[in-house]
Amino acid sequence: MNNSSTWEFGTRQVVYGAIGAALYGVLSWASNFVPLPAAGNVTFRPAVAVLIFFGVAYGPWVGFLAGFIGNTLGDAISGWGFFWNWSVGNGLMGLVAGLVAAQIKDFRAQGDIVKAVIYGIVGVAVGMLFASFTEMITSGIDFNTALVGYFVPAFIGNAVVTVILVPILMIAFAAVASRRGR
Amino acid sequence: MLVTWKYRPRNTFIQRLDPRTRLLFFFCVIFGLTLPDIWDYRVILPLFAMSLTLYLLARIEWKDVKRVWLFIFVLVFMIVGLNALLSGRGGPASVTNTASPVVFEVLGIDVTIAKIWFALTQVVRMITMTLLAIPIPYTMDPNIYGTAFRKLGSSDKVSFTMDLAFRFLPTFARDFTITMDSQRARGYELEKVKGGIASRLRKLAPLIIPVVMQSTVTGEEVIDAMDLRAFGTNPRTWIKADDLRYKFADYIMLGLALILLVGGFVLRFGLGIGEFFIPDFFTNLFL
Repeated sequence: MNNSSTWEFGTRQVVYGAIGAALYGVLSWASNFVPLPAAGNVTFRPAVAVLIFFGVAYGPWVGFLAGFIGNTLGDAISGWGFFWNWSVGNGLMGLVAGLVAAQIKDFRAQGDIVKAVIYGIVGVAVGMLFASFTEMITSGIDFNTALVGYFVPAFIGNAVVTVILVPILMIAFAAVASRRGR
Repeated sequence: MLVTWKYRPRNTFIQRLDPRTRLLFFFCVIFGLTLPDIWDYRVILPLFAMSLTLYLLARIEWKDVKRVWLFIFVLVFMIVGLNALLSGRGGPASVTNTASPVVFEVLGIDVTIAKIWFALTQVVRMITMTLLAIPIPYTMDPNIYGTAFRKLGSSDKVSFTMDLAFRFLPTFARDFTITMDSQRARGYELEKVKGGIASRLRKLAPLIIPVVMQSTVTGEEVIDAMDLRAFGTNPRTWIKADDLRYKFADYIMLGLALILLVGGFVLRFGLGIGEFFIPDFFTNLFL
C-alpha cells in the first residue's frame, strides 16, 4: 500500500488533483440549486462520489487535493467562507479512499469495486469524524452535538452516495479507459 | 476546450494591485471572520461596508455579473436565509440553545427572535465574503494565477495545481450546464421526484457521468501536453514573475488585511467581542 507509486506526486497528480478539485467545487456549488433527496437532517451530496472516485482512480494525493481545494473553492464561490476543518476533512476523505488506488486493477471487476467502496466508506468516516470533532473546538459544540448533529448525518449521507454512485462511475470509467487504450 | 472567466483589463485601483495582495487580503478577511467565529453585527457591518466599497472600486459591469448575483441572491436569501430562519442551524450553537421568545410559527416550527436575527446576520456575513470573491475572476488575469501562488512561496507543482483548478472551474461549470440542457432535451426530468433515495441518486448519473468522464479524457490530453514540455523535470520558469511587484498601495492593503485578521482574534479572544448576540433594539421591535 505504501509503495512509491501510491505517493508519487508528478504531472498526473497535478492535473487530476486540479481537475478533481474543480469538479468537486462545481458540483458542490451546483448541489445548492439541484433538488437533492434528503431524509430528516441527512442530505445527500452526490459530489462526494466524484471525490471518492478521483481518489480511487488516481491515488491519495489527488484525493486529498481534490477534497481540500475543491471544498475550499466550492465554499468560496457559494459565499460560505472558509472552514478549514471541513476542507481538511474532505481532503482526508479523498486521501483515505485513494489508498486503495494501487490495488485496483479492473474498474469493472466486482471485487475491485467492493474494495473501492469499502475504502470510500472508511474515508468518509475518517474525514467526517475529523471535521465533526474539530467543530467542537472551532464553534464550541458539545460531544453529543458533534456526534449526533454533525457526524452521523454527514456520514450516513456521504456513505449512501458512495455506495450508490461510486460503482456507476467506476464502470463508466472502465469503458472510457478501454476505448482510449489506457 | 477551456473556457475562461470574463476577465477584462480595466485601469482601476483594484486591478493595479498585485494579485498576491488581493489573494492575501481575501484570505485574511475570510480567516479573520470565520476562524474566530465572529457573528457580532457591530463587526460584520463595517466589514460589509468595506467589501462593498472594494467591490464598487473594481467597476465590474453589471451585465457581466447579473446572472451570478441572481444565483447568489437565490442561494443566500431563499436557501440559506430561510434555513437559518427556520432551523437556526449553520452558525453558533447559542442560536438554538438559548431560550428566545417565539415570534410566530410556521408549519409547526417556532421562529424565535434569535433565529430571525441570526438569519439576517448570516445573510450579511455571506454577502460580505461573496463581495470579495466575485471580483477575483473578473479582474484578475488568468495568466497570473499560477505565478501569484508561486511568488507566494508554494512549490512549482502546487502552484500549477492551483492554476489549473482555477482555470478548470469555469470550464466544468459550463460542461455541467450543457450536459443538464442536453439531457433535458432528451426528456430527462430532474425535477420529477419519484422513488426511494437510491433510485433518486441513481437518477443523477446521466448528469454526473458525462461531465466526470469528459474531464478524465481532458486530463489525459493536458498531461500529454505537459509531459511533452518536460513538466516537473527541472525548476520551472515563471515568465510573468518579474511583473509582480509590491507597490505602495499593496503595502497599505496588506497592512489593512493584517489588522483585520489579527483584529478578529483580538476582538474575540482578547476583548470577548464578536460572539453572536441579539441587540436590545432588535428584541424591542417584537415586544
